[in-house]
Amino acid sequence: MGGLPKKKFERGSATNYITRNRARKKLMLSLPDFRRLCILKGIYPHEPKHKKKVNKGSTAPRTFYLLKDIRFLLHEPIVSKFREYKIFVRKLKRAYGKTEWSDVERLKDNKPTYKLDHIVKERYPTFIDALRDIDDALCMCFLFSTFARTGKCHVQTIQLCRRLTVEWMNYVVASRALRKVSSFVTWIQYDFHPTDVDYRVMATFTELYTTLLGFVNFRLYHSLNLVYPPKLDSKAESELKEEHEDDYAMNSESYLEKLSALSSSLARVVSTDEEEEAKLDEFPAEGEDMEQMEAIEKEQKQLETQKKLFEGLKFFLNREVPRESLAFTIRCFGGRVSWDKSVCIGSTYDMTDETITHQIVDRPNVDKQYINRDYIQPQWVYDCVNAKILLPVEDYFLGVTLPPHLSPFVEEKEGDYVPPEKLKIMALQRGEKPGADEEDEEDEDEEEEEDNDDDEEEAEEENLKQMEEQRSQGKSLQVKVTPGKVKADNPARLKEEEMAEEKRLAIMMMKKKEKYLYDKIMFGKKRKIREANKLAAKRKAHDDAEKGKKKKARK
Amino acid sequence: MAAARRLKRVAASQPGFLTLKPSSEPADLVGSRRKRVNKNKKKNWNKFSDIADVEEFLEDVRHQERTTGGLLSEKSDDTLFFVDLGQSEKPEQKAEEPDEGKKRKGKASRPLRIDLILQHDSHIPPPKDVLAYQQPNAKKLRRIAQKAEQLAARGVVPRRQKRLLNRRPIDRTVNKAVTEANNNPDRGYYNLWGQESKDSADPWYLQQTGKKLVKRPEKLNEKPSVLPAVEVIAPGGSYNPDFFSHQVLLQEAHNVEVKKKKQEDRLEKQLAVNKEDRATEETALREVVEGLIEEEDDEVGAPNSKEDDEAAVAAIAVTEKKTERQRKKEKAEKIKEQQRLSSRRQNAQQQQLFQLRSIKTSIKQQEQKTKKKQVQRKAQQEAQKAQPRRLGKLKFQTPDLDIQLSDELAGSLRQLKPEGSILKDRFKSLQKRNLIEPRERAKFKRRLKLKYVEKRAFKEIT
Repeated sequence: MGGLPKKKFERGSATNYITRNRARKKLMLSLPDFRRLCILKGIYPHEPKHKKKVNKGSTAPRTFYLLKDIRFLLHEPIVSKFREYKIFVRKLKRAYGKTEWSDVERLKDNKPTYKLDHIVKERYPTFIDALRDIDDALCMCFLFSTFARTGKCHVQTIQLCRRLTVEWMNYVVASRALRKVSSFVTWIQYDFHPTDVDYRVMATFTELYTTLLGFVNFRLYHSLNLVYPPKLDSKAESELKEEHEDDYAMNSESYLEKLSALSSSLARVVSTDEEEEAKLDEFPAEGEDMEQMEAIEKEQKQLETQKKLFEGLKFFLNREVPRESLAFTIRCFGGRVSWDKSVCIGSTYDMTDETITHQIVDRPNVDKQYINRDYIQPQWVYDCVNAKILLPVEDYFLGVTLPPHLSPFVEEKEGDYVPPEKLKIMALQRGEKPGADEEDEEDEDEEEEEDNDDDEEEAEEENLKQMEEQRSQGKSLQVKVTPGKVKADNPARLKEEEMAEEKRLAIMMMKKKEKYLYDKIMFGKKRKIREANKLAAKRKAHDDAEKGKKKKARK
Repeated sequence: MAAARRLKRVAASQPGFLTLKPSSEPADLVGSRRKRVNKNKKKNWNKFSDIADVEEFLEDVRHQERTTGGLLSEKSDDTLFFVDLGQSEKPEQKAEEPDEGKKRKGKASRPLRIDLILQHDSHIPPPKDVLAYQQPNAKKLRRIAQKAEQLAARGVVPRRQKRLLNRRPIDRTVNKAVTEANNNPDRGYYNLWGQESKDSADPWYLQQTGKKLVKRPEKLNEKPSVLPAVEVIAPGGSYNPDFFSHQVLLQEAHNVEVKKKKQEDRLEKQLAVNKEDRATEETALREVVEGLIEEEDDEVGAPNSKEDDEAAVAAIAVTEKKTERQRKKEKAEKIKEQQRLSSRRQNAQQQQLFQLRSIKTSIKQQEQKTKKKQVQRKAQQEAQKAQPRRLGKLKFQTPDLDIQLSDELAGSLRQLKPEGSILKDRFKSLQKRNLIEPRERAKFKRRLKLKYVEKRAFKEIT
C-alpha cells in the first residue's frame, strides 16, 4: 500500500537549521543589514553537532542559524526601518545626482530612524538581567569614548559614549563601590587603530550597549536618590565657577567636562544633610547562624572602613600622571583630589595649597618641595586600594624602585607560591610591622659579608676571632663532651607528636587499594609544596644575585 | 517583445543611424544624445527651458524706455534726426555765450556734477501714488475709532490683532531626524523596568489585529558561550609585575612560539626533497639517451626476455576441463573441512565453562575501559564548551599574549609603552564567545577584466 518514501534531509536536524544566505533572503535584507539585525536582537549562529546531516551531505564550512530564531526575527519592527533606510539612501542618491538640492534637504530632514528601547526590554526583562551583561557594555562604551572625533565613526555615538561613561564613573564615586584596581600593560591608547577590526560590527554592538547602559544608569541614579541626568551639587558648582571657562571647552560641552572632572559631588533629589549609616537588620540570634551573622557583621565593618580609606586626605596630581584614573580611584574612597589648572577644567585647589597631604609625582625629582606633604608615585594609590589599608609611603618615594604591582584578582590556595611582597602586605593588614624586622635582618645579612666596624657585630666578631685563634694554636677546637641538659617537655608538642604517630599507624593499616589512592593524593599535594619550595629557592637566588650586584655597584 | 523594442530604440539612438521615415530634425542624428526631459513639471521649467532671447528683448525695451523715454520705433523723425546745414552761425553764438557766462560768474554757471548724478536719469516718470490723493473723511475716521473702542471695551479683538498676537516666534526646529536618532548625545532615558505592561485590551483582539507582541523564545536567553565577557589578564601582565608571574607568562608565550615553529618545521620537512633524488647531469643524459644506443647488451637481453614471454603465455593458456574424480575429491575434502570446523566449535563452547574466570576478567576490563573513555569524553565535551565554535569558513585565531619582554618593562607609569590594542582585544573576545563569526575583509573582485593598452606614443618608440 502507498505511503511516500522517506527521503534524506527532510526531517530532523537538517530542517532545524538554515544557512545564512537563505535566512537573509527570507528576511529580504542585505548582508550588512542582516548582520546588524542579528547583533541587535542577540541571535547568533550555531554550530550543529552533525554538520554533514545539516549540510545535506557536504562538509563545506557554512554558517548556520536556527530556523526558529529566524522566524522570530520576521516579527521585528525595525526590519521595516532597515528597508525604509535603504529606500531613503536610494532617493538621496538620486536627488544628489540630479542636483535637486531642495529635495536633498527635505529628505535629510525626514531621515528614518529607529529606537532600540523595546529590544533592550525584550532581551533584559528585569534590571538584574541587565546588570549581568553590564561589564561588556561598559567595556565597549569606555573604548568608544576614547576614539578621536574625526568622522570615521559617527561622532554622535562617541559623544554619547563619553556622556554615559562619565555618568557611570560619577555613580561609582557617589556610591563608593570600587573594590579592586589593577593597571596592566595594555593601557588605553588614543591614536593607534588596528585595521583588521570590523568597525561596523563594533558600532552596532555599541549602539545596543549605549541604550542598555543609559537605562541602567537611570535606574542606578534613582536607587541612590540622585538626579538624572546628573547635575552638580549647587554649592560645589559655585566653587567651580571660574573666570576662564571658555578656555577649556565650548559652552555646550562645558557642563559635561565639569562632570567628567569627577572632582565634585552630585545633586540629590531629596537633599540630605548627612549620610545615614545603614545598620544591619538585627535578626533574633539563632544558634547555628550566630557565627554566620558575626562573620557578616565583621565583613560589613571591614567594608565600611575600606570605603573611607582616603577620607581626610588631600591629593594633588602632577601633570605627568594619568589624571582620570587616579582622580576616580581617589574619589571613590573619600579623598579629595585636584590638579593643575592648565590640565583640565574642574581643579578645586592649587599646588600651593598648604593643606595638601600627598602629591602624586612620576618624575625622578621635583624642584620645589613642601615639608608637610609626601611625594609619592602613583602605584601607591593602587596598591593601597588593593591592600585595603594605607601602605607605608617610604617604598613609593620618588626615585625608589617600586615593589611589584600585584594583581588583586589572584587568589592563592594553600601550598601555592606566595610572593614575599604579598606576605608583607598580609602581615601589615594583620597589624604587625614585619617591615621593620625584615629590614633589620637584611641589614645584618649585608653587614656580615662586608668588612664592618658596627657595634652590633662586635660580639660575633669576637667569637670568630677566638675560634680562629684556637685553630691556629691547636689542631682541634675546644670541643668537649658535656652532660646533656634535660629539656622541659612541652605538652602541646607531645600531643602533636601523638597525633602524628596515630596518623602513621592508620596509614600502615590501610588496605592496598586505599593506600594506592592515598599515595596519589599525597603525591599531588607534595608536588605543590615542592614547587613552592623550588620557587622560593629561585627567589632567594635572585635576591642574592641582586645583593651581589648592589655590592659591586657600591664598591 | 519588450526586449526587441528596447533594442530598436537603442539602435535608433546611435549617431549616424538613418531611419526609414525622414525625420523633421536631421540635426538630431548628428548631434549628441539628448536626454529626454518632461518640461511640463514646474521643477523643470527653470532648468531646461531657454528664455534668453525673450529676456534679451524685454531688457532692450526697458533700456530704451529708461534712456530715451520711450521706444525708438515710436518716436517721430524730428526727435531722432536733424539736418546738418554747416557751421556758419556757430562762432557768433559762441562769442555771445562766454560773455554771458562771465557775467553770471558770481552765480552758479553750470549745475554741479553731484547734483546731476543724483537726479533721475530715466525718462520714465515715477508711478502715481494713489493713496497720496485720497482725502481722509473725518467723519468716517471718527466712526471707525469709536467702533474700535467699543469692541475693545467688550473684549472682542479684531482679526488682524488676533493674528498678530497669535503669531508665535519662529522656532528654528532642530532636525527631527537628529533628535530622534538612537545615538543622539542628548537623548533622554526613562525607567524601562518600572512600567507595567499596557495590556489593556483583550488578548484575542490583540492577536487578531496583529498588535500582540511576539514572545521571545527561551533558548535565545542562554549565552552562546560560558566564557566571561571580560577576562582578567594574568598577574604577569601588570605594568610592574612580580618576577615569577612575569616568568610564567613569558613561558606561556614561549610555548606558543615553539608550537608555531614546530608546525613550520613539519611543513618544511614534508615538502623537503631528498638530495639523492635530484637529477644530476649523468642521470639526465642517461634518460635522454635511453633506447637510442644499440649495443651487445641488447642481444644478450633479448633471449632472456623471450623465455619470460613464453612462460607468461603459458600461464594465460586455457586450463583443461576438470574430471569427475577431481570434482568428487574436492567435494569430500570440503565436507571434511566443515566437519572439522564444527567439531572444533563445539569443543570450544564446552570448554568455555572452564574459562569463566578469564572471561569475567576480560569483561571487567572492557567495562573499565568503556567507563574511563566515557569520563574522558565528558571532560573533553566540557573543555570544548569553553573553546570557540567553528561558525564559518575561517577558524578562530587566538590573539597574541599582551606581554612585554624583561628589557621592555618600564619602571614607572610615565615611561610605560602600551602594548596591544583594546579594540582588537574586544573584537577577538566577541569572536571567542561565539557572538560573531571570524571574517576577513571582502576583496574587490572585478567582474570584467581590465585591458591594458599602450599609448600610441609609446608604441612608436618600441
